Amino acid sequence: MITAAYAPGYRAATVGDFFTLLKPRVMSLVIFTGLAGIVVAPGYVHPLTAFTALLCIAVGAGASGALNMAYDADIDRLMARTAARPVAMGHIAREDALIFGWWLAAGAVGIMGLLVNILAGALLAFTIFFYVAIYTLWLKRRTPQNIVIGGLAGALPPAIGWAAVTGSLSPAPLVLVLIIFLWTPPHFWALALFRSDDYARAGVPMMPNVNGKAFTRRQIFGYTLALVPVGLLPAFVGLGGILYLAVAALFGCWMIRESFAVLRETDETREPAARRLFSVSICYLFALFAALICEHLLSIAPLGAHLSGAWM
Amino acid sequence: MDERHEDERNARERKKRNIAIALVLGGLVLLFFLMTMVRLGGHVAEWFD
Repeated sequence: MITAAYAPGYRAATVGDFFTLLKPRVMSLVIFTGLAGIVVAPGYVHPLTAFTALLCIAVGAGASGALNMAYDADIDRLMARTAARPVAMGHIAREDALIFGWWLAAGAVGIMGLLVNILAGALLAFTIFFYVAIYTLWLKRRTPQNIVIGGLAGALPPAIGWAAVTGSLSPAPLVLVLIIFLWTPPHFWALALFRSDDYARAGVPMMPNVNGKAFTRRQIFGYTLALVPVGLLPAFVGLGGILYLAVAALFGCWMIRESFAVLRETDETREPAARRLFSVSICYLFALFAALICEHLLSIAPLGAHLSGAWM
Repeated sequence: MDERHEDERNARERKKRNIAIALVLGGLVLLFFLMTMVRLGGHVAEWFD
């Protein structure tokens, strides 16, 4: 029996719409890097505590995604890549997405603080705040450095995972944070190169639209040259072993090769090199963190002295 | 799609959303229960010594 009367043309949001609001693909990478932080951290953590920490990291990332879609619905509507998002399409009202996002954020932070530890909860709260307030609401529409500074939010999950296990922070997890932080500009500027029309239409000041494609190519290459040696660092701070070093070196060479191809690219319409670099950069980050996790699961001893002395 | 079919579809989606919320709340209750057990460990009885 139908008990509700809906306005003609009204389309109720589906469970799938709300799931899409969580940006599941972004969430999967965040879960993966958070898991690496948990796995490489010294000391024992109960598997259920680790699961809870990972769940909170995932939900916190999802909440950030939902809030981002709510606040950016006006520009999402103008870009081909984001036009099908549920708020942009009108399947979920902006207010509903905001309520959903803020409740999830509060829930994830609260549960992390109550069931795991206060430091992990505080770091998660800072990450969500940074992504929503600093990146989405402040930087995204104002500066071409938006994804550089905003990238810190996406880089923090390994530190949250580490803090969930140890209740402290030390230089070692911050090396993992630095890797993701330096990885973000080549990854997103590669996307911005082949989606520059989209960003121009929406008025988002991405690097290629503000400083030109040639400048962006040089920046991508420069950041990649900085990223690859930093990618080797975990093997020298007691986090990674010989397998990690080999994977980081191999995939690092691949990143340099592809970013060099972007630097030399002449096809500014299709940008095939940038498209390749975008995919390769995902493989690079995935490979590095997978190698770290595998080594710890296979008990392969890390190289170098462990820099895990707690700061806080 | 006529109005009646739209209403049926919307009611169905609302029911699915309610079920999803119920499952999430049930999962949260279970998580809090299990995590309480983990955090208390085997020392619950000692509190009453």
